[in-house]
Amino acid sequence: MSAVAVALRTRRRLRGRAAVGAAILVILVLVALLAPVLAPHDPNAIDPSRVLAGPDASHPFGSDALGRDVLSRVLFAYRVSLGVAVGSVLVAMAVGIPLGLLAGYHGGWVDSLLMRPVDLLLALPALLLALSLIAIIGPGSGVALFAIAVIYLPILARVVRGSVLGVKGEAYVIGARARGVSRTGCMLRHVLPNSLGPAVVQASVLMGFAIQIEAALSFLGLGAQPPTPSLGLMLADGYQVLQQAPWADIYPGLAIAITVLAFTLIGDGLRDHFDPRGVSR
Amino acid sequence: MSALLALRDVSVDYGPVSAVRDVSLEVSEGEIFGLVGESGCGKTTLALAVMGLLPRSAQVQGGIDFQGEDVLALPEAARRRLRGDRISMVFQDPEAALDPAFAVGEQVAETIRAHRPVSGREARRRATQLLTEVGIPAAERRYGDPPHRLSGGMQQRVVIATALANEPALLVADEPTTALDVTIQAQILALIRDLRDRHRTTVILIAHDLGVVAQLCDRAGVLYAGQLVEVAAVERIFDAPEHPYTKALLAALPTRTHGRGSLPVAGGRVPDLADPPPGCRFAPRCPVRMDACERVPALTSREAGHVTACWHVEAEAAA
Amino acid sequence: MSTRTRYIAERVLLAIPTLLAMTVFVFLLIRLVPGDPVQTMLGFRATPQNVATIRHQLHLDEPLLTQYIDWMKGLVHGDLGRDYVSHAPLSELLGNALPVTLELTFLSMGLALVIGVPMGVMAAARPGTARRLTDGFVILGVSIPDFWLGTLLVLLFAATLVWLPPSGYTPFTADPVGNLRYMALPVLTLAIGEAAYIARTTRGAMDQALGAPFVTFLRAKGLAERSIVFRHALRNASVPIVTVAGIQFGVLLGGAIVIETLFGLPGVGRLTVTAINQRNYTVVQGAVLVIATLFIIVNLVTDLLYGWLDPRIDAGAER
Repeated sequence: MSAVAVALRTRRRLRGRAAVGAAILVILVLVALLAPVLAPHDPNAIDPSRVLAGPDASHPFGSDALGRDVLSRVLFAYRVSLGVAVGSVLVAMAVGIPLGLLAGYHGGWVDSLLMRPVDLLLALPALLLALSLIAIIGPGSGVALFAIAVIYLPILARVVRGSVLGVKGEAYVIGARARGVSRTGCMLRHVLPNSLGPAVVQASVLMGFAIQIEAALSFLGLGAQPPTPSLGLMLADGYQVLQQAPWADIYPGLAIAITVLAFTLIGDGLRDHFDPRGVSR
Repeated sequence: MSALLALRDVSVDYGPVSAVRDVSLEVSEGEIFGLVGESGCGKTTLALAVMGLLPRSAQVQGGIDFQGEDVLALPEAARRRLRGDRISMVFQDPEAALDPAFAVGEQVAETIRAHRPVSGREARRRATQLLTEVGIPAAERRYGDPPHRLSGGMQQRVVIATALANEPALLVADEPTTALDVTIQAQILALIRDLRDRHRTTVILIAHDLGVVAQLCDRAGVLYAGQLVEVAAVERIFDAPEHPYTKALLAALPTRTHGRGSLPVAGGRVPDLADPPPGCRFAPRCPVRMDACERVPALTSREAGHVTACWHVEAEAAA
Repeated sequence: MSTRTRYIAERVLLAIPTLLAMTVFVFLLIRLVPGDPVQTMLGFRATPQNVATIRHQLHLDEPLLTQYIDWMKGLVHGDLGRDYVSHAPLSELLGNALPVTLELTFLSMGLALVIGVPMGVMAAARPGTARRLTDGFVILGVSIPDFWLGTLLVLLFAATLVWLPPSGYTPFTADPVGNLRYMALPVLTLAIGEAAYIARTTRGAMDQALGAPFVTFLRAKGLAERSIVFRHALRNASVPIVTVAGIQFGVLLGGAIVIETLFGLPGVGRLTVTAINQRNYTVVQGAVLVIATLFIIVNLVTDLLYGWLDPRIDAGAER
């Protein structure tokens, strides 16, 4: 098969992936938003008669150690986890993209000044950095959101910077300058929109990771604090009753896995269109 | 002299695209045979067909007899044994041919080890010897250099050393000098001729530059759009070309005999190989086309050793 | 000084400011805590007297720079301070915990490479079923949170099949078999997640390497397919693989923190988590320092490995 045919087939497959990922994500977001409507029971309702009861018609995901409905709990916990994951990456984008744009566009001492501290953040393993911040500020889902944003800010900044470095040398940018557009105007109107592609791809992938990190932090007891629900907390509780009631552990984990899958598929699929040069990771 | 390589009605198709159509020719032992034609005419495809390096999607028909044996009928394992041992190939871009992660000397040595039961030390010694033979100074020291440390001309010499490592009977050189500077070009060509003289290697030299063919080859074949149109000794090709396409090629060469003005150019364009003309593929552009050209002309000869595929030439000779 | 030596020196020198900056960050950890860290740390054991003593011991009443220098001096002498809750010196606490974490991370990375690299190579060299299986494995491995996988493995191997223990630890020196039994599930958990990334990168890098132009020449030399795939392509693909392994080591360290907690392994990770929960700041400081240093060292080694693997680095070419 010719190289062209292979490339076209790959393209189609990737677009298919992105579509599947997007479809899953849309469903998940709807589920998260509509949790109060969809949940069959009150997630906090303790029911001694249903302690560790298995899945059945009225409780499709079973019940946990306090007789609470796992399905309802998963729905509400999912809102928090997804919210933190998406929110943290959005914050990281809000700070990281301008940083990367300025550093890449101006270069020289501005680049060093902005990117040095950013690079230092990358010197620590991600989870460790998050834990350090939580050690200083104290646990909580808000802190978790902040910490995750701090972890992913450098990655987004670097991706945008790399992308900008490529775009700023393009003919249409130089042409704009030749037409008399100011440096800032050029940066904002020409360079920025064309550099965002890889950042979008990266952000998508990072949202998938972010939900995993949020779950990990909550699992360790350092993220969302009860009564705020979180999938990580559910996993920690579920682990305690693993043998007697595996569903308390399986369903929250499944929710996370499906979410990561959706984001990864979208990222992979978008990569072909938005990031042909593979600047993102 | 016996025919070392004989192509019998070889055709190569990539799905609907007919890259090579019914090519038959013979290459005698010890000669340097030039295969000429413009880009896309099928020269490289033919070379790859002889080597057995065509992609799986290519359909090959006909017969390729090497030392009397039809290689197309051989299983892949047997063909692999021939490659690098009795038939070798040199490619156009030496930098693309060498593995950037390995030392140049090692790349020669591994070819030896792949086909001969020698020790690592012996292979290394022989490889160093070969590097010297192809004109690389201080071969011992340069043995361990990675390819990017060598100039283009040096890299091509390494590629040639690799190709000749096991004393092949046939060397296929696909535009070996196209990627090199003109001054280096002459050196490499001289090297090839020198090696042929010393080792009695038969060489098929593929080129789009007639000048190169003139310098080096004994005989030459002209390809157009996958069809073989003329084969003759090199002097005859230049002095007495028969086929209209060969004439057009020669006319387009800038020489002192041309007056001022533009070079004569054959009108029209190369046919689309997915939908080629049914007969002679040069017919649409040919200044002397006839109705008979709807059918493929056979290679016919008016003088010994000179064949041409053209109805017009046949008609003229009959008159 | 040869370029290679210069490259090594460069990398080592670059690592030093990173290490220093990291120590500054860790140093500031305690000092950035709102309120009085010593009070919080001691909790109900805090009396005005021992708070004052400890503040003095930690030099918290001195100017910041002096504190830092004193602390660094201590570090260089191997004195990381002490745990004010258990009264043990940190060097002892961390010294006992570090081997556990090292065993966990290195075994996991090793297993991940053993699983992931061959999988990636197979997927690239033999498209079809191998490739689809690898694709599926990669997608699953990347999506499933490692600690959830851990719980599932516990469910399968410890709870249902009762082949392996769900938690606990014994040092290798005391009981090698027992040690491996306790480490089996944690290592497997981390390795599967890592293997997915490594398989994906290997497959991509091998695809690129196998598609490179020099591969055609390797085939023309008549080399066996196995040699082409494992010797040449893999060698060329090794740089991206090492890159990802290096990056992933950081992720692995993070994962190890959670896995240690899940499986009750007395490593530095679990120490960190318990210390944070207990507001035991000096321990947090020591543990973070150790893990971060480990990470920086591994990154340095990875960088040095590139220099050895990619000869182009040697010539100072841009990566």
